[in-house]
Amino acid sequence: MSLGDYLRILRARRGGITPWDIEAATDLPKGLYRQIEQRYRAVGDDESIQVLADFFDVPFEELRWRLDWPRKALSRALVAGREADASITLFLSTGQTVTGRVVWWDLGAVGLETLEAGLLVVQRHAVERWDPRATENSPAPGGPDAGEPELD
Amino acid sequence: MAENLWALREKKKLSVAALANRSGLPIGLIMEYESGLRSIDPRHLGRLARALYVEETDITLQSDPRPGSGPLERQPRREAPGRVPAEGSAAGRPPSADPRPRARPPRPRAEPKPPGPARPSQIVHLENMLKRLGRSKEDLEAELGRPIAELDRVAMSELLKTVQPQIGQSDSATRRRAHLPESVDEHEARYLTAAQEGGDRLHFTLFDGSYLNGQVIGFGPFNITVRQADGTEISVNKLAVVHYRRDPAAGAPKEPSA
Repeated sequence: MSLGDYLRILRARRGGITPWDIEAATDLPKGLYRQIEQRYRAVGDDESIQVLADFFDVPFEELRWRLDWPRKALSRALVAGREADASITLFLSTGQTVTGRVVWWDLGAVGLETLEAGLLVVQRHAVERWDPRATENSPAPGGPDAGEPELD
Repeated sequence: MAENLWALREKKKLSVAALANRSGLPIGLIMEYESGLRSIDPRHLGRLARALYVEETDITLQSDPRPGSGPLERQPRREAPGRVPAEGSAAGRPPSADPRPRARPPRPRAEPKPPGPARPSQIVHLENMLKRLGRSKEDLEAELGRPIAELDRVAMSELLKTVQPQIGQSDSATRRRAHLPESVDEHEARYLTAAQEGGDRLHFTLFDGSYLNGQVIGFGPFNITVRQADGTEISVNKLAVVHYRRDPAAGAPKEPSA
């Protein structure tokens, strides 16, 4: 799960406070929190993550590692897996692991052809990490049938 | 250590109005608290602390006046000009026999101003549209019988209204819908549509570790409605779903490895 998705969950757990509330309560520059939460690429640095960890009262590392697994990186790995017709392993936030061939993917879900369960539709927000990770040089997501477009 | 209310507010970069809005207290009351005219009512302390994201103990009950600020004084209410004092007031004018308000003298009507020259932004917009239409500025000027630069603001606005629809017509054949992320959930929608139309049973695994089996009878961007074997219908938010798949009637579902 990306840092942005996880921050949304933390906000919901805090009673649905708004990004503006968080900006007012912390010293984060104006607009930064919204970008951290909404951008598909990784936004934020250790300093801002520490501020958010203090605010939400969670360990720094719990937020920090998610910065390295942004939504865009998952899109890239899915595209690479689909083009190479190779298996990808998804590590889910429930502790489960699913492995299969990417049949399709879009903004919200991934269609994975698995050996044990056939076509499994995995919700993207449940994916914590994945393997293999696509490199930066892998084909970027985009195109008419590739789902998530280039946002930033 | 407790701080003055105004100091905390400024530290949070909030205006008095914003603090009043967040706390639900009147602006005037907050100004009185900040100026030290009155100490903060304990019933309001919690609201102010929540609005400022501080503890109640962080706020000084009796603020010191901000250095350099004058004493806070209530402004006397201004009387509207020409307002008649109430009956029996100190002014003591006898009540008028005719209670109807006197009609205002008609305001002299100003001469309508001639419209100004076309705005530069209008001209640029027109030129851009002409470019998209593959037309030249000279052609249009020849049609109009005068240079575009001589058009006034109103005439230019009318001209833009006539050109704009041509853009829509010329682009309609080639225009494509923006590929917005909000619109890109077609694969999952297709899968669910096929499952719904085929009457397939789906097996959902939820975040709380429970499962849900049933036929899809409807879905939206954020939820899926399922009819279970006993006939009950349940809508599940996609945020609560980890994954799902077709559930053949025969055979127990195999769960992915943990």
